[in-house]
Amino acid sequence: MISLAYTPAWFNGKDIIIDLFSILILGLISFYGFMYYRLNRRNKNYIFLAAAFLLMALSFIFKILINFTIYYHVIETKNIGLFTLTYHTVQVSHILFIIGFLLYRVLMLLGLFTLYAIYARPKLATMILMVFLLLVTTYLTTSSYYVFHFTSFLFLLILALHYWKTYRRGRYYSNKLLAWSFGLITLSQIFFVFITLENWFYVGGEFIQLLGYLMLLITFIKVLKDGKKARKK
Amino acid sequence: MGKKRERSDIVLDMLVAIQEKGGMIKPTHLMYKANLAHQQMKTYLDDLISKEFIKKMKKRNYDYLIITDKGSRFVEKMRQMKEFEKTFGL
Repeated sequence: MISLAYTPAWFNGKDIIIDLFSILILGLISFYGFMYYRLNRRNKNYIFLAAAFLLMALSFIFKILINFTIYYHVIETKNIGLFTLTYHTVQVSHILFIIGFLLYRVLMLLGLFTLYAIYARPKLATMILMVFLLLVTTYLTTSSYYVFHFTSFLFLLILALHYWKTYRRGRYYSNKLLAWSFGLITLSQIFFVFITLENWFYVGGEFIQLLGYLMLLITFIKVLKDGKKARKK
Repeated sequence: MGKKRERSDIVLDMLVAIQEKGGMIKPTHLMYKANLAHQQMKTYLDDLISKEFIKKMKKRNYDYLIITDKGSRFVEKMRQMKEFEKTFGL
C-alpha cells in the first residue's frame, strides 16, 4: 500500500516521476564526473563534483521512499472475563518515514555543501564545522523542515550566482544555462517552504524543480554536443 | 609566461595535430605541431602506440603516424571533458 504526504490527490505519484527524472539527471552527471576523473586524476574537482551529484541523487531516492509506508500484520490477544480473544490487526510503521526524511535532508545538504566547497575552497576545519552544523540543524532543530529548505535555498542561490558570475566573465553559453537551471531549482525551494500553508505550493515546487533539472539536462547535452562539434571543426 | 601544459593537454594536442592533417602525419611534423622536444615526443608516442590511439605506417620510404578509431574516440571524450570542465568551472 502507498500513502503519499503533502500531495493533492490528482498529483499522487506524479511527484515520484519528477523525482525519478531528477535522480536520472543527477546520476548521469555524477557518472560522467567519475569517468572524466579517470581521464584526468590530477583534477580532484571532478571527483568532488561526481560525489556531490551522487549524494543529491541518493537523497532523492530517500525522498521517494518516504512516500511509502510499511504496513504490517500483528496478532494481538485480549482477555475479556473468562475468554481470551486472539485477532489480527494492521499497524503502520513510521520508521521508514523517519529514516527516509532524515537521510533525504542530510544527503541533500551534504551534496550541496560538497558542490559549494569546490568553488569556495574552505579549510578543513571550516568543512568539519560546517558538516557538523548541517547534521545538527537537520536532526535537532524543532523546525527542521524549514531549516532544511532554507539552507538548501541558500546553497543553491550561492551556486546559481557563482555560475552566473562565471557566465558574465567568459560569456560562455553553457554557464548561462547552468546558472538558469540552478536558479530554477533555487526557486523551487521557496515553494517547498510554504507547503504547510497550501499543498498547491508542493505542486508548483515540483514543476519548477522539473524545469530546473530539464534545463540541467539540456546543459549537459550541449556540453556533449559541443565536444563533438569541436572535433569536426 | 603561459601555463604549463598538463599531460592530458599534450596528449590531446598530439592527437588533434594528427586529425588536422587528415589523420596521418610525419613524426617530425607532429613534434613541431604539438610543440614537443624530441625525447618528450618519444615518451608520449610510445605511450600512445601502446594504448592503440595511434599506429605507425610506412609510405614511400617515409614513416607516418596514423590516428586510430580508438584515438579519435579518445579525442572526442577529452573535448567533452574540457567542455564539462569549462561549464562547471572545475
